[in-house]
Amino acid sequence: MKHPAATEPSARESEETGLPFFRSWKSVYLFVLGSFVFWIALLIALTKIFS
Amino acid sequence: MSALDFVVLIGSMLGIAIYGIWRTRGRRSLNAYLHGDGQTPWFAIGLSVMATQASAITFLSTPGQGYLGGLGFVQIYFGVPIALIIIAIFFLPIFRRLNVYTAYEFLGRRFDGKTRLLGAALFLVQRGLGAGLTIYAPAIVLTTVFGWPLDLTIICSGLLVIIYTVAGGSDAVTVTQKYQIGIIFAGMVTAFCLLVAKLPAGLNFTDTLALAGGFQKLNAVNFSTNIHERYTFWSGLIGGTFLMLSYFGTDQSQVQRYISGSSLREGRLGLMFNAVCKIPMQFSILLLGVLIFVFYQFEQPPLLFNPASNQYLAQHIGSGQLEALESDFQKTHNQARLQIENWMDARHNGDETGARTAFAAAAAAQQQGEAIRTQAEKTLSAANSGTTANDADYVFITFILQQLPHGVIGLLVAAFFAAALSSKSAELNALGSSTTIDFYRHLVKRDATDAACVAASKWFTAFWGLVAIGFALYAHLVENLIQAVNILGSIFYGVMLGLFVVAFFIRRVGGTAVFWSALTAQALVFVLYFNLTISYLWYPLIGCAACVLFSLIVQVALGATNKSAPASPVS
Repeated sequence: MKHPAATEPSARESEETGLPFFRSWKSVYLFVLGSFVFWIALLIALTKIFS
Repeated sequence: MSALDFVVLIGSMLGIAIYGIWRTRGRRSLNAYLHGDGQTPWFAIGLSVMATQASAITFLSTPGQGYLGGLGFVQIYFGVPIALIIIAIFFLPIFRRLNVYTAYEFLGRRFDGKTRLLGAALFLVQRGLGAGLTIYAPAIVLTTVFGWPLDLTIICSGLLVIIYTVAGGSDAVTVTQKYQIGIIFAGMVTAFCLLVAKLPAGLNFTDTLALAGGFQKLNAVNFSTNIHERYTFWSGLIGGTFLMLSYFGTDQSQVQRYISGSSLREGRLGLMFNAVCKIPMQFSILLLGVLIFVFYQFEQPPLLFNPASNQYLAQHIGSGQLEALESDFQKTHNQARLQIENWMDARHNGDETGARTAFAAAAAAQQQGEAIRTQAEKTLSAANSGTTANDADYVFITFILQQLPHGVIGLLVAAFFAAALSSKSAELNALGSSTTIDFYRHLVKRDATDAACVAASKWFTAFWGLVAIGFALYAHLVENLIQAVNILGSIFYGVMLGLFVVAFFIRRVGGTAVFWSALTAQALVFVLYFNLTISYLWYPLIGCAACVLFSLIVQVALGATNKSAPASPVS
């Protein structure tokens, strides 16, 4: 059931992020995890400080 | 609502729908209708994924959750970043490599036709019911508050979304979602700014946080290991990861959004955009509810926010008894307010002892007020009024109507409808696509041309829209709306995720083993749901684990690897 306009993603496509500061997908995922940890820490701090 | 509010509401809703139809006119091929033109950039995908998940319930009900329960609800979203990273690494590349229209098409390639149909059927059942809730939830709240006819509101908003989704397909959904989410953000940011401006002049930022924290509204993270507690760090992180993995990875309404990108990169970045933004966004909406709570420490709140509940109480227990309850509630509120003002004075003068004493008195008065409110709710519940949903759903809309100026009211009601239409259109698009590809083209007419499939997809989209309207017209909810949607998803999603986990990662299991295992696991989840009192966040994990475990056992019992199954696409 292949459809005509769809394209096969190339190996190059799966490696490049096209982002200026994050050249690899690994760095993008680490950034996402970093922001997740930041928000968890912020929420824990909010809980501890103001409760 | 004034004439200005109606102009803002109707103008924005109709304008976006007409623009969506105009922009997507002439989409004739099946690929363009189901996948879009293949040029969707990552930012549009990100907004589309966000708009699909964030329904009107999110924006109506979540501030009420913040008002009544504080920030704890944010924990349900702790699984989002992890789940989206897993999907970006494993799910998305395979969906794109196989060029599938639906996620269940992949199950057919990996296992067999019956497993594909099972996955698609699980999706159609739970999403078909969910689509009814998506349209019912804002309608019931808004009609209760404004006095609009409920049936007419459901039918008008339902028909509007059916028309532009049928006309433009996947592209119409993406195009309209961009503008709808713009209205949603504009409305929510405006409400946030006006709320902050309405807080008392002497109350600074740290006072506000200290006041909210003192009333336990800033308890965002709870490390309790009690599985009966609904929202904890662990249920959010572990159970939430499975729930979000199921929703984003196996629900066609989401899969269709991110496989429509022009490349793998666009889909991945769209997902990562949501992975970064989801927790702060939900935190902000909950914080809005917490600030409304702080605001109502200085303004008299209603005894119950749902006006229908107040009316019913007046009829059932008599207006005299209701007035007595309201009078007592007002007295405790005035006491609490006086003590909070004393607390602020003592705090600003550096009198810590005085501040502690005043706050303790304020908390005691506030507890008395809550006891009166609880008594009213129990009276209402005992009378089995069946009036409407949880009071939390009415907190934000009551604040908007009582405190915000005309024009802004119209903007916010438009934001609620925009949220309802944006998620509803994606759901209908996905339901129509799955019915066409997984049932019509797979079972009924294998040699159907693209034109026939487009026509069938339009009919099925309209059919599901009408089913959702029909369900909404007869829906009766007993729990908070956003929780009802999440609970419904939790019951079905685990087994759906189990099918995909086996497909991706366990090469030795074949179609027959996973099919019967999934059915058994789904039955197990039903039995557990009706017999246990654990948080619903654990059911996706239980359903997924049961499906995987049963598959392994059944495959061993069958005695051999399913030779007919193609090699797993995960290499």
